[in-house]
Amino acid sequence: MWQSRPGVLGWVMTTDHKRIGLLYFWTTLVLFGAGGAEALIIRTQLIQPNQHVVGPSTYDQLFTMHGITMIFFFIIPMTTGAFGNYLLPLMLGARDMAFPRMNALSFWIFLGSGIFIYTSLFLGIAPNAGWFDYVPLANAKFDPGHAIDFYCLGIIFNGISSSLTAANFIVTILKMRAPGMSFNRMPLFCFAFLAASWGLLFALPSLTADTIFLFLDRNVGTHFFDVAKGGSTLLWQHLFWIFGHPEVYILIVPAFGIATEIIPAFTQRRVVAFPLVAVAELLVVFIGFGVWAHHMFATGMPTVTVVFFAAATAVVVIPSTIQVFAWCMTFVTGNARFKTPLLFIAGFIFMFVAGGLTGIMFLAVPFDQQVTDTYFVIAHFHYIIFGAAVFPIFGGMYFWFPKVTGKLYFELPGQISFWLIFLGTNLLFFPMHIVGLEGMPRRNYTYPSGLGWGPENLAETIGSYITTVGIVVLLANLLVSYFRGLPAGPDPWHGATLEWTIPSPPPEYNFAVIPKVSSAYANWDYADREEDRRKLAEGVMVLEQGHEQPVSSPVDGWWAEIVEMPHDSPWPILLAVAMSIVFVLLLLHLWMGFCFALAGILLVLLGWHGEEPQEREA
Amino acid sequence: MLLLLTLAGCGGSQNTLNPHSHPAADIANLFWVMMAVSFGGLALITGLLVFAWVRRGRRGFGADPDDPHPGERPSWFVVVGMGVVFPLMVVIALFVVGNGVIISSTQAPAASSTAMTVDAIGHQWYWAFRYPGTKAVTAGELHIPVRTRVNLVATTADVIHSFWVPELNRKVDTIPGRQNRILLYANTPGVFRGQCAEYCGLQHAHMGMLVIVQSKAQFRTWLAKQSAPAAAPTTALARHGEQIFLDGPCASCHAIRGTSARGFVGPDLTHLASRTTLAGLTIPNRADYLARWIVDSQHFKPGNQMPDFNLSQRQVHALVAYLEGLK
Amino acid sequence: MADYIAGGVPERLVPRTTEARNAGEAKVLAGRRRGPSVAFWGMAMIVASEVTLFGTFIGTYYYLRFNTPHWPPVGTPEPRVVVPLVMVGILATTSLPMQLAARAARRGGLWAARLFLLWALVIQCGYLVYEIHDYVDQLRRSVPQDNAYSSIYYTLLGADHAHVAIGILLVVWLLWKLARGLTMYRLNAVQVVAFYWHAVNLLTLVVIGVLLSATL
Ligand code: HEA
Ligand code: HEA
Ligand code: HEC
Ligand code: CUA
Ligand SMILES: [Cu+2]
Repeated sequence: MWQSRPGVLGWVMTTDHKRIGLLYFWTTLVLFGAGGAEALIIRTQLIQPNQHVVGPSTYDQLFTMHGITMIFFFIIPMTTGAFGNYLLPLMLGARDMAFPRMNALSFWIFLGSGIFIYTSLFLGIAPNAGWFDYVPLANAKFDPGHAIDFYCLGIIFNGISSSLTAANFIVTILKMRAPGMSFNRMPLFCFAFLAASWGLLFALPSLTADTIFLFLDRNVGTHFFDVAKGGSTLLWQHLFWIFGHPEVYILIVPAFGIATEIIPAFTQRRVVAFPLVAVAELLVVFIGFGVWAHHMFATGMPTVTVVFFAAATAVVVIPSTIQVFAWCMTFVTGNARFKTPLLFIAGFIFMFVAGGLTGIMFLAVPFDQQVTDTYFVIAHFHYIIFGAAVFPIFGGMYFWFPKVTGKLYFELPGQISFWLIFLGTNLLFFPMHIVGLEGMPRRNYTYPSGLGWGPENLAETIGSYITTVGIVVLLANLLVSYFRGLPAGPDPWHGATLEWTIPSPPPEYNFAVIPKVSSAYANWDYADREEDRRKLAEGVMVLEQGHEQPVSSPVDGWWAEIVEMPHDSPWPILLAVAMSIVFVLLLLHLWMGFCFALAGILLVLLGWHGEEPQEREA
Repeated sequence: MLLLLTLAGCGGSQNTLNPHSHPAADIANLFWVMMAVSFGGLALITGLLVFAWVRRGRRGFGADPDDPHPGERPSWFVVVGMGVVFPLMVVIALFVVGNGVIISSTQAPAASSTAMTVDAIGHQWYWAFRYPGTKAVTAGELHIPVRTRVNLVATTADVIHSFWVPELNRKVDTIPGRQNRILLYANTPGVFRGQCAEYCGLQHAHMGMLVIVQSKAQFRTWLAKQSAPAAAPTTALARHGEQIFLDGPCASCHAIRGTSARGFVGPDLTHLASRTTLAGLTIPNRADYLARWIVDSQHFKPGNQMPDFNLSQRQVHALVAYLEGLK
Repeated sequence: MADYIAGGVPERLVPRTTEARNAGEAKVLAGRRRGPSVAFWGMAMIVASEVTLFGTFIGTYYYLRFNTPHWPPVGTPEPRVVVPLVMVGILATTSLPMQLAARAARRGGLWAARLFLLWALVIQCGYLVYEIHDYVDQLRRSVPQDNAYSSIYYTLLGADHAHVAIGILLVVWLLWKLARGLTMYRLNAVQVVAFYWHAVNLLTLVVIGVLLSATL
């Protein structure tokens, strides 16, 4: 079987989904640190009334970059890029992604877009019109300079990466499953990522179109958003939220996936109502496409429209409640072991319900119109984003740490980190409900005293520091465990899915023998695993001629074909570099250079496709 | 400096749970009900998790301990019953009450049926108010008569803002090219604070306003006074101030009715002295603040559209004297 | 194990792409394969995403239209009807040679595939050259900076032309690849590009239809 190339070059040219997953992991962790640092400056500025830690211009850039970073450069790449890349093929019983080089390309583009947009912050001209960047404030007239151009181009650039990842995931899930893994035998984790990828694929184009229009309006002089010339400012909002609402479910669904892996492992019980949960994971994204205007209730849309979107919002609640009760009943009827990963999942359920309930409140339109754009909304979505999308990421870090490193983490510091983060986030975000109801609008760089907002803000800031300490404990724990931890063995938790059948860390080819699958909890099907070991000894189903990988039929998981996968390749990073150049030239309005760079891209593509992976090497 | 700014917050509060009108009260009551139900839901889920913690280490539910799906059937009932049927009922009830009943009580009265219409115009970064049918124009402070259904028309001069006085009603955005309307009504006289709620740039945080609710008679007097042109300066100093104002840069941005100043970038200053605060509730309207504002407005409100001016001490004195006389 | 394999064929008969080194072997293998290739699925995803992007453009077109009393606004010329319709009709015929090329490739017909591709390419290039000429011509009478109508008009039309141009680049690349014989990889590529062209043609039809709807 094949081995990875050693050294730095091995990482730069890698097409191994596990290495790409790790690259994503470290990059997004650094970006999370950046987004967190921005948040901490925000919180320090707001610690008491009339503070002067930063001025309004810096503050505006900070909250905008905080929102953009956390959404586009942390959660999405962390869940899909890091967790999805590393784990999906392992759970599907595959040896690689469907398009390994495209996978590498996604990462390098992502890195390029991250560097691109953070350049603006270091130059002090970061986007400053909020993460949803409403026009006309974002038009050239009210925001001259390059700040919003960074936003437009950075978002488009990043969107290309996410779209490629989504396409790759969908095809991987449909086509690269181990023979025998029909849909009803696929782990819930994979359903979640299928849902998230569909969501990304269909939601991103709307944002791309929107940012293209804005870029044209600002730099070419078109009038998409110019009311005087027949354009519309609400057009921006519609297109943004047609993306934006599905987006928030794209953030949460992978977290559902992680939860549905951790719960069975630590309760030793299959998830209750499997088919309902699987369908709910898909439905939540699907229905999520029809509710976008609930972010625009205060724009004065006709009452019928408003009521329609409120009703749609009411419907989208159902798949979530199904899942919450399925998880809870699995806890109750199983044999729960409250280790750190499960603690994070329990915390996640609590936070998700708390945040979901405030979400439901918004469907009472007059109430939404009262509290929209206040800290009540900030509270809603931090509960649901930090509590419900990030907690499972932390839980997942602990859960799969032994698989990725081959070491066990330390349990006591793990539990301490959970309680610090759990109590810290509640102290951080709960008072935001109150202060929002007391009338504090969001995106205010300072606030007057005398309105009674001081104590809440002080508590929030203290909570943010506690949360930070918890996160640092978590990372330190994992770091120390990496060097000092006890060996973990292949399956420390008696996990349910295929990744626990192979050694830790997994070999380059993942599965020495193509596994047999007859349920969604493959590692608990002892007879099948016995059969795998027998086949390995006999040399059956090993496929050792090069980079081979079985391909299955989309629904039944029948074995349809054996394909040869590409090897390490320099082309993905080269292409990403060429694309970065294109975006920089666009930003600087160097149109001639832009055309040359486009030609360069074509050349790289030609080189890329010069290799034909499916030919057998002579 | 810190202390000075602190004072500016005074005058009115903007607490949604302290309603002073029937729409705001409806919304607040709706919230209390929703909150009670939500705490119930959260307690239920937390209870289930705690229950699992209490019986950790035990497996199955009475039946066969080796069953790979212990309690699957009853769990299905819970998932479908509590996960589909129950929330549907709750959500439908909320929907009917929230949107069927309360929306209409907060909506603006039809223009024809209303006793009174006020225009609120959002500017970066202050609110201008006009009273159609009269010449009155003010900024930052909106006067309305008590127990009168006011049809408030919200528009914008530049970007999107949002008109919001929480203790009187929900908010409404000002969208370029559109006229959004909302009901403004107050049960009692008083001062209610409001604030621009849609992010509109650097000084979004200092785009406050006061709604001053007066008895109907007081309001009529006030409106008559505001409709009149500016009072002529009486002292020599003030006359000098007027001269500076009209010849200097001020008149290019500000209007003072009854003089040649017709600018429309900044607030109308015709009756400046009748206001209690300046620059979107950023500073109190006192001579010392006014003087500092004129030379160094960027200090109080960094990034605001009024530049700093290099004026001599005497010129500032004269300007202040003039502006203080604009009762 | 047999029940896991499509049609119950034995493991050693599962088609293995590495076994196809020339046109003949590729043909045999393609015959044994059931269902579209992985590459095809990948292209289906890209197309889905592009269709959504165009869908958003078209949605924008109608959103702006229903917010504007006169469409196109007074003073902006209406789009011409006959010539674009004829041109798009001609372009649509290229779906036929593209499909034929895919079929020929699947049957190992290397020369037939090349010829069909060439046939398609000639028409496609003719279309694009004319359309670019026409685009530049139209820019003399109105520009995207006129009003929201012309902004979306030129953006939508330009995006569609770019789409056609990408398709042409793909066909050129295919011909270059096929010049050096047929492999499994190239066979997949022909099928995939043919599929892409169907999408391009369909989108062009829709886009032209949408733009012409302004004259109704
Ligand atoms: C991970 C992200 C995420 C998720 C999952 C959600 C989930 C939901 N969101 Fe949230 N939302 C955001 C992220 C998210 N949101 C963000 C980022 C914003 C602000 C953007 C911005 O302005 O910057 C926002 C804003 C936002 C608004 C606009 C507010 C405003 O600006 O005025 C609305 C309005 O309807 C809303 C509603 C909902 C609803 C109904 C759900 C539902 O899906 C929740 C469903 C979950 C549950 C219901 C929990 C389960 C409960 C139980 C099991 C208890 C029993 C239940 C009942 C009795 C009903 N959200
Ligand atoms: C994923 C989404 C996400 C996450 C996780 C967070 C996390 C946090 N958020 Fe944020 N937030 C948003 C998404 C998110 N936020 C969005 C979308 C907005 C709206 C923006 C807008 O209005 O445009 C917003 C707005 C927002 C505001 C409102 C600003 C305003 O309106 O004026 C505030 C204020 O307190 C805030 C605070 C915080 C805090 C304290 C955290 C904390 O929980 C953060 C804690 C994290 C850390 C402290 C990082 C620790 C990490 C490390 C130590 C790693 C280091 C490792 C290496 C370097 C390798 N956020
Ligand atoms: C370039 C335009 C411009 C010029 C010139 C200008 N102002 Fe202003 N002024 C403004 C704007 C805009 C505001 C509102 C600032 C805010 O609150 O954000 C303002 C606010 C004020 C206010 C507070 C009004 C209120 O009701 O809150 C006073 C008083 C004032 N200006 C006086 C002056 C004087 C005196 C001069 C001349 C020395 C002057 N201005 C010149 C634009 C201008
Ligand atoms: Cu005006 Cu915010
Ligand atoms: Cu939403």
